[in-house]
Amino acid sequence: MATPGRSARSVLACGEVRTGLLPSFQALDGRAAAQLLRLRADEHVRVSERPNLYALSPEVLTGVDCRLPTSNGAKVRGVGTVIARAALTEGRVLQSTAYFSAPADGPDVRRPWGHYLVRPGVVEPFGKLPEQATADGVLRGGGRGDLDLGMISEGLLAQLVRHPLLDHKAPFKSRRTHLRWAARRTPEGQEPALDRFTLAQDGLRTVELRVPESIPAGAVAGLCEDLALHDWLLTTVVHMLENSRLGAADGPAAVLALRPAVDHLLHLWMPRAHVDRALGHLWDVLEREPGFSRQWENLRQRIRDQLAIQAIPLLHQALSTR
Amino acid sequence: MLIFAASDKGGTGRSVTSANLAYQRALTGDDVCYLDFDFGSPTASAVFDVPDARQAAEDRGLHSYLIGETSEPVRIDVWADTEHRVLRNQPPGAGRLILMPGNLSGGEFATTGENLRRCVDLLLRLNSEFDLIIVDLSAGRSYAVEMALMATAQRELSGIEARWLVFHRWTRQHVEAAAGLVYGKRGILAHGVASGHDEDALRGAIRFVRAAVPDPDSALWSQATPTQSAWMEQCDTELKQLASHHGIGYSQVLGSVPLEPVLQWREQLITDEDVLDSQIATMETWQALSDLAARLTDDKYWEEA
Repeated sequence: MATPGRSARSVLACGEVRTGLLPSFQALDGRAAAQLLRLRADEHVRVSERPNLYALSPEVLTGVDCRLPTSNGAKVRGVGTVIARAALTEGRVLQSTAYFSAPADGPDVRRPWGHYLVRPGVVEPFGKLPEQATADGVLRGGGRGDLDLGMISEGLLAQLVRHPLLDHKAPFKSRRTHLRWAARRTPEGQEPALDRFTLAQDGLRTVELRVPESIPAGAVAGLCEDLALHDWLLTTVVHMLENSRLGAADGPAAVLALRPAVDHLLHLWMPRAHVDRALGHLWDVLEREPGFSRQWENLRQRIRDQLAIQAIPLLHQALSTR
Repeated sequence: MLIFAASDKGGTGRSVTSANLAYQRALTGDDVCYLDFDFGSPTASAVFDVPDARQAAEDRGLHSYLIGETSEPVRIDVWADTEHRVLRNQPPGAGRLILMPGNLSGGEFATTGENLRRCVDLLLRLNSEFDLIIVDLSAGRSYAVEMALMATAQRELSGIEARWLVFHRWTRQHVEAAAGLVYGKRGILAHGVASGHDEDALRGAIRFVRAAVPDPDSALWSQATPTQSAWMEQCDTELKQLASHHGIGYSQVLGSVPLEPVLQWREQLITDEDVLDSQIATMETWQALSDLAARLTDDKYWEEA
């Protein structure tokens, strides 16, 4: 039997991040962000102002005892706790994550809750964990009655959105995205790797990683939050450009439709700002292919060019009425 | 903005008309979500011609969501999933058109506690995503109406504009029933006030839609004898007096939808093709629907009378 408080080696970490615009007319400042994310009275919200305003809530635990999602239909019961936390970037983009780690195997009986409570964020399987099938199952989404990380992170998001600080007068409409991730644990000394990033339908994204055991699951969650944030920015601005009907609609209307991007989104691009140093280089994979920053730079330039073109007639007008 | 569609009785064309409003708004570029809260007799999948929705909604429909059986109510992308020949091609510039179907089965449910919270969460979430959310409520004083009144009275939803459409047919009985549904002892206003709404504000957010109104001047009735025409005119005048007497006169009306066989019998969306190419629907109906759709968000039509 393991010593209390010390977990068996984890072989898998999985999570889901939900990302969306904060439903508030004005962006929240650091103090308001801390107030919003104060999920627990006994722990502080971490707020950092450099290089951008970023607030991270304390972690809350959800006890679970249910089937784990598996891609091959294997029925594995898991018991333990799932960690949920929320982050707010520049007082504008709200994210919530639910994640857990799992050891390779566990006992066939349920232990007293105290056992699970001293291992926050660990879900122990009954018997042996089918690692790959569970990772795939989480990425694909479970069936009815399976552990549902999306439900836990959505629950936290819904709780935050009900906060009296928020007036539900967001400056523009936008869709949320869901990013599901699964990280297989590799032996000490191996380099972390990002194997796959996919865009699925309905705002779903999946990320497959390999991460050495020494890196805590919270750091992996942080990397995935950063990926989800930037993917959401791309998705949202692309949608805004599509809707503005640049070129088809007349000038002022298109500019009006793009204005929220300038006011609220363009300054948010800052990959790896709050990512664990050991994982920051995984961004390089996405920068090469598909080229996140390249696409962003292109979008930003397009918006700026449009605004510049719209300004030319105004300049002429101003000069001619002098 | 939230639009709740209620009706005094069945058969007012509430579902088909409000679905047409959703379609019209999406055509003009709005992102629109249509929620089928007509539990027990969901018709939206037929109106939008998305047969797969019926199956999908069986255990993941709105009713399952509200009672906590599923965390994600199923969403149907109408442009992508419809089998309607015309709707399949999303016109350029059109916004999203999403249907959230109700369950086939399931009727009554508690409108308090967790169920109410889930309803509020859903509306908050959809409001951040869609320009317009149209909620089709079951006829009469139903659980769905009660839930909508309770939800919109919650503090969380107070910042979100909500408007009510009450559909009724243009007959004596329907005029009286519609007035009763809103102003009656157990009507929407009384119930709303009991749930925490401000009476004047709620009253100001309710407008009536006269459905299946025969227009004596329309081509459909051009063959009527002079006696018939005179009789129709007289009935129409009497109904107007009756409506006015019951407090649902002209100033409280957002619009009228003409008596239209396509709406009555086919119960489907009217596309521009139905009007222009096959010409089975009339231009008047198309115009009435598009006027009504525009007035949903035109504050001029919602000012205090």
